[in-house]
Amino acid sequence: MSGRSALNRRVKSWPGWVLMVVIAIAFVVVGSTRSSGPQTPEDRVDEITQRIACPVCDGESVFESQNNSSRSIRNRVEQLVRDNELEDQEIVDEIVNAFGGDLLLVPKASGLDALVWLLPAMGLVIGVSGLAVAFRRWRLEAAGTAEATAADRALVEAALADDPDEP
Amino acid sequence: MIAASLNSAFGRAGLLLMLAASIVGGLSIVFGIWQNDRRLLRQAPRYAWLALAGSVLAAVMMQRALITRDFSLAYVQQVGSADTPVLYNFAAMWSALEGSILLWGLTLAGFTAAVAWRFRRRSNDELVAWALFVMFVVTAFFAMLSFGPADAFAAGAPNVFEGPGPNPLLQNHILVLFHPPILYLGYVGFTVPFAFAIAALITGRLGEGWLAETRRWALFSWSFLSIGILLGGWWSYEVLGWSGVWAWDPVENASLLPWLTGTAYIHSVLVQERRGMLRVWNLSLLISTFALTILGTFLTRSGVINSVHAFGDGPVGSWLLGAFVVIMIVSLGLIFWRGDRLRSPGSIDSPISREGAFLANNVLFTVFAFIVLLGTVFPLLVEALQDRRTVVGAPYFDRLTMPIGIVMLFLMAIAPVLPWRKASQELLSTRLFWPGWCGVGAIVFSVLVGADGWAPIIAFGLGGFAAGAALRQIVLATRRQGWRGFVGRANGGMVVHLGVILIAVALAASNSFTHSATLELRDGDVVEWGGHTFALESVTVDINAAESERALKANVLLDGEQVYRPAITTYLNQGITVGTPSVRTGLAKDVYLTLEPGAEPGGDVAVIRVFIKPMILWLWIGGLIMAVGTLLAAFPGQRQRKAVDPVSAPVGGSGPPDDDAVDESAAGTKDSTDGRPRVEVGARSTRTGEGSGEL
Repeated sequence: MSGRSALNRRVKSWPGWVLMVVIAIAFVVVGSTRSSGPQTPEDRVDEITQRIACPVCDGESVFESQNNSSRSIRNRVEQLVRDNELEDQEIVDEIVNAFGGDLLLVPKASGLDALVWLLPAMGLVIGVSGLAVAFRRWRLEAAGTAEATAADRALVEAALADDPDEP
Repeated sequence: MIAASLNSAFGRAGLLLMLAASIVGGLSIVFGIWQNDRRLLRQAPRYAWLALAGSVLAAVMMQRALITRDFSLAYVQQVGSADTPVLYNFAAMWSALEGSILLWGLTLAGFTAAVAWRFRRRSNDELVAWALFVMFVVTAFFAMLSFGPADAFAAGAPNVFEGPGPNPLLQNHILVLFHPPILYLGYVGFTVPFAFAIAALITGRLGEGWLAETRRWALFSWSFLSIGILLGGWWSYEVLGWSGVWAWDPVENASLLPWLTGTAYIHSVLVQERRGMLRVWNLSLLISTFALTILGTFLTRSGVINSVHAFGDGPVGSWLLGAFVVIMIVSLGLIFWRGDRLRSPGSIDSPISREGAFLANNVLFTVFAFIVLLGTVFPLLVEALQDRRTVVGAPYFDRLTMPIGIVMLFLMAIAPVLPWRKASQELLSTRLFWPGWCGVGAIVFSVLVGADGWAPIIAFGLGGFAAGAALRQIVLATRRQGWRGFVGRANGGMVVHLGVILIAVALAASNSFTHSATLELRDGDVVEWGGHTFALESVTVDINAAESERALKANVLLDGEQVYRPAITTYLNQGITVGTPSVRTGLAKDVYLTLEPGAEPGGDVAVIRVFIKPMILWLWIGGLIMAVGTLLAAFPGQRQRKAVDPVSAPVGGSGPPDDDAVDESAAGTKDSTDGRPRVEVGARSTRTGEGSGEL
């Protein structure tokens, strides 16, 4: 049994971990670098239309919606993809210019709309900072080096006041 | 006319009984406690049964009105039709605002009665009495909604003898019968732990007793909410014809919000049960979960936010908003009032510990919920401040939540192997070794079968890592305890994790590797695409017996094996046309067919769209595993050890504990008499090893 444990420990030692990490990184790099993007023109159309709001629907994208307004936008996107002259973002801009209105499903990062990006980032920073502060306080308390709080002092004073041995 | 008067009169009588019983039940509790009259407290549960009887009567009368096509009622005029098939006529009750509030009330009255029954021998206990009081108050509120702003039994216009029936999308798939009621079981179920949380604040018994009482209620509600959300995704996939399961629609978001905070709660509550810490945080999560169900209902039932499946724009919105405000004020006021009893004396020793992982989990879930809430209400904010329309859609949510999802998968891998209090590097390297190789195996496998792009490959790798960690726990537990290694909260929780991991991997695969094409099929030709063959056999028209639906179908032979029939269905009464997909489901991938406009009946040409979507079936299998895991988690584990109080003080220099396989359900907790956990310096529950083998 002890032999098995020793073998188990040896297997799990650092060379095993290094091998694991090397294989993982190698395969992630291979998979990431061979990324070929959309396989068909329709895939590209799907990706672009998922970023454009249906002008007359309730919050649906052109990709999801089946009404005539969305179909006409989709047809236009299909045409632009077939022409293969514009990048995806340029096609989105072209559609927004051509059809007017607020068709972007991703809010801009300027003006009031920037809040929709800033507030979550602030939330994450506050959450992580709060955790860091809490852990620091707990560590200091555990080490007994934390400053006594007013509540601590009040507790000591009350205990001293109740002490029958106190003259 | 007799039928009409019966349905309306008995329906209203039922609602009146529900309202009166809830009010009298609540008053009975308040006076019972005030006057210290135990008799009043003991009789309070009977009012819960009366309220349930009233709500059942109202629901039965609404069903009777729908079955008998009682067009004297405005609601039946709105959603009833002689042409609606029986099953969908049954589901018509929750296909519009008033009926859905009626279903909410019925579910709530059911939960109130269940609480009364479960705690029938403790009706004298003030904690139980106040919890029941809160349930009565909420039940009375929904009964009032059904009487006033969402009156399901209001008289309709005279001389109306036919209606349009439910929205066509709500009468063409069997899931319409299950998705809303199951979702409501989840939504409404969280009222129970919320009620006990408020009761604990009122009574000042803020130890861990109320958590133990509501543990299974919260788990039950969370499970139904999870299943309800997944069934909604399944319905969307099978019915809406855009091939997706989740669109970040406001109504979908409204269901996701309480799920996120509820999930954070069922994790962080373990820290309180074990260590007596995070009391305010856990109360806040529960209150948020309940308040978000009300806020979500307000957002989607008041007309303030448009969505494909939102409905209602009447005064019900102001009632729901008022309820949300009251819930927040009362809850925060109670927390402020009880602030002195909510302070926890303990501390968390290290971020690299089970507690640390739960806290990180909570930060992530809370930020996730904040993003969903912000994105959902942001158009309202912009409209209010700048009077312009803006849309926050799926790409925004995908962009912000994907990194959070990836970090959550990482935490799911790490947390199960972490011991409470502190972990050493040696312990981590030992316990994470095989899970790590599972992750590497998943990466290698995914790349070998053709995956590309860093994000899905990382997601698969982390999914494998997390699955390895969950399986490790299950293997160790079953080695030690046999089949009982599957039950109990820790082990059942790992089964739930496996379901969640499957869903995450399936979502990553289907979102990243879906391919689509538009194919023009001509009779007699065989078109090849995506490794499949498509041949048009015919274009036909089916009209149902009631002549209310006309379906134009392209009969497409797929791979020379079976005919699939994507259709464009026109609902003649409503004049609505809906694309109806036809799907071949497989373990590795689905082939999803929709028919484009332009085909002629009897013609020899049809244009179809084809989506090839990998791993969709695993979403539903993952949901099933989650449900099974929740059931296993609800069972008590094997080792029913002597209950201990939460350990709130640091362990002095004894090195890192090694108890990650301990079933938390066995680490039961009791309230101490003053509502505070007794501090046990250095005390720990039974220490267990890592099982009979090494993994």
